[in-house]
Amino acid sequence: MSSTATTERQSNVSEALARGRLGVPSVIFFVLSAAAPLTVVAGVVTTGYGVIGVLGIPLAFLAVAAVLALFSAGYVAMARRTANAGAFYAYVTRGLGRPAGVGTAWVALIAYNALQVGLYGTIGAAAEPVLDRLFGIQPQWWVVALVAWALVGVLGLLRVDINGMVLAALLCAEIAVIVVFDLGQLGNPAGGSVSFAAFSPDNFFVPGVGAVLVLAILGFVGFEASVVFSEESKDPKRTVPMATYLSVAIIAVVYALSSWSMTVAVGPDRIVEEAGTQSVGLIFNLAGAHLGSTVLTIGEALFLTSVLAAMISFHNTTARYTFALGRERVLPAVFGRTSPATGAPQAASLAQSVLGLLVIVLYAVNGWDPVLQLFFWLGTSGGFGVLLMIATTAVAIIAYFARSGEQETLWRRLIAPGIAAIALTAIIVLAVQNFANLLGVEPDSPLRWIFPAVYPVAALLGGLWGVMLRRNRPDTYARIGLGAESAAAIVAAPSDSGPVPTSAEVRR
Amino acid sequence: MLIADEFFLIAHNDTRGKAKLHPAATGLGLAGGLLGELILYGHVTVASGQVTVIDRRPPADALAHTVLDQLIGEAQHQSVRTWLSFLAQTAATSVGERLARAGVLRRQENRRLLRTTVTYQPIDLNVAAWPATRLRAVLERSDPPSVPDALVLGLVAAAGLTREVLWSAGPRAHHRLNLIIPALPAPLKELVAHTESAVGAAVLRGIP
Repeated sequence: MSSTATTERQSNVSEALARGRLGVPSVIFFVLSAAAPLTVVAGVVTTGYGVIGVLGIPLAFLAVAAVLALFSAGYVAMARRTANAGAFYAYVTRGLGRPAGVGTAWVALIAYNALQVGLYGTIGAAAEPVLDRLFGIQPQWWVVALVAWALVGVLGLLRVDINGMVLAALLCAEIAVIVVFDLGQLGNPAGGSVSFAAFSPDNFFVPGVGAVLVLAILGFVGFEASVVFSEESKDPKRTVPMATYLSVAIIAVVYALSSWSMTVAVGPDRIVEEAGTQSVGLIFNLAGAHLGSTVLTIGEALFLTSVLAAMISFHNTTARYTFALGRERVLPAVFGRTSPATGAPQAASLAQSVLGLLVIVLYAVNGWDPVLQLFFWLGTSGGFGVLLMIATTAVAIIAYFARSGEQETLWRRLIAPGIAAIALTAIIVLAVQNFANLLGVEPDSPLRWIFPAVYPVAALLGGLWGVMLRRNRPDTYARIGLGAESAAAIVAAPSDSGPVPTSAEVRR
Repeated sequence: MLIADEFFLIAHNDTRGKAKLHPAATGLGLAGGLLGELILYGHVTVASGQVTVIDRRPPADALAHTVLDQLIGEAQHQSVRTWLSFLAQTAATSVGERLARAGVLRRQENRRLLRTTVTYQPIDLNVAAWPATRLRAVLERSDPPSVPDALVLGLVAAAGLTREVLWSAGPRAHHRLNLIIPALPAPLKELVAHTESAVGAAVLRGIP
């Protein structure tokens, strides 16, 4: 594969195929626009301060970034050798076996669906000020959610991935607004002096630290998508690793800075209380007071587009996951079909939309709180699911390199993923202990066990399904983890194993 | 009619020449057709994901000749997937032109909003609709199809166009289609499988 990539001679084929390849900036833009920074800063961080009540969120972002950077060292190294590289379960399949892979796939479906559906809870709050200013109306949250749901559903079926340029422009505007907000907050510190209390370890290592770490992981979800371009990038050995590290670094700096500046403007002693009462409105109220109404309006409009972009992006991610599993026949084959005219994974997209509708209706009928109980609960639970997958993948990377004996540095194949696996396991243990804090419920509430228990149950059922496939449908079993590549896998030995035979080559 | 030509006609509307299939899958299906023609003529073969030239004499068809020249000229590239991606970039135009030269289609330039798009419109409706009709009939019969017919059917299924061909066919035709692809000769079976993988990968990448 890579042996043919470098050649001295002019090659039409290489040139033509290189034309569409992505460089580092394109991959970073792709990753960051899925991460939707303003959604995290305005929605997740503010709600996080209010619900969890721990000051150490900025430090948590930095700590998680360090762990994810370690994880990425092995992750991008294995991505180059893995078909279906965008999906964690592909790594688990190759490292820990196919039943474990199916279990991970089940976890992924739940986690990504939770992340997508959770966003419907915050769209009402995001649209409220914009609709009020434009039309003077204040619709119920679920009316806005249903409109957004219809938009996401239709765009998903038409496969209108929003134009990359539009996403890039929105992303730049979002980051610009976040930085302007941050400067406004830092320029108006509570009590007249800038406090660094949010970075103090004393405010980090407190009961609830596990909850804050899951929240930070949630902010980074999307960084794993960079490896989708392993084969489509200009230089697979350099582009994707570079883009992954830079994405993690940019996200970490933006989020740590923003979550810290909030505490400066409100005051470290009052942030938890203020975030609890003002919720998603907090940074906009601060911006309105510091910077005037123009910047505020721009910020509110961008929050709305940011949430919408995140919804569409997570919808497509979930639909593609389902599509890949349908292609492998691990899910029914119908999920692996596409609409001929658009190439959209039709059935997969529809299934995700149906789930979204059910959840919106469920919450609307029961009158449950959209921001806390839908957005924050499902969002953080989804983040916890992604945390479990990252940790499992870290172990799978070590196992894969240990078993395959592939040439790779000790750092990338053992040390970095090893440290990451230990750190991630520690985060998981803390998170399970602190799940009540994460949800903002009483320590004896059954919910604190139900939410985290969903994943091990799903993983177990998925594993059992994998074992059943081995017995009943060995053809399908052989395809697990290969995604769209599974079609070719059944007729040929994996093309990446062993050197290419050269004897039959034509002579010039 | 040649493999890629039949695929082209099936993938486009038989009255106005509009695409029924999204561009990525159309290109890959046609690329599979072009490689398939060379395999059927005995010029190349496919094994373990690699294309190998086995007969360098020029084929009769001009486009097949061009493709074979490219395969010979860039022997450092052997992966089926590389060639499918490469040929897919230009296949819609080159096969459309071939059908225009054969007098089946007429090249038509449409100017719309500063952009010129090219479509290939059928000259005779019956000729354009014939491949789909014929393949449907092939599937209704109980005797196994010829190898070229089976290859077109395989590529149609790989590109996700099955329902376009089988819209009126019964469950027996669907069942028969599922048996035809595994029965293809090994190089063609592999070619179809790689085409299906490439189409799926294009969907997963999310870039049309």
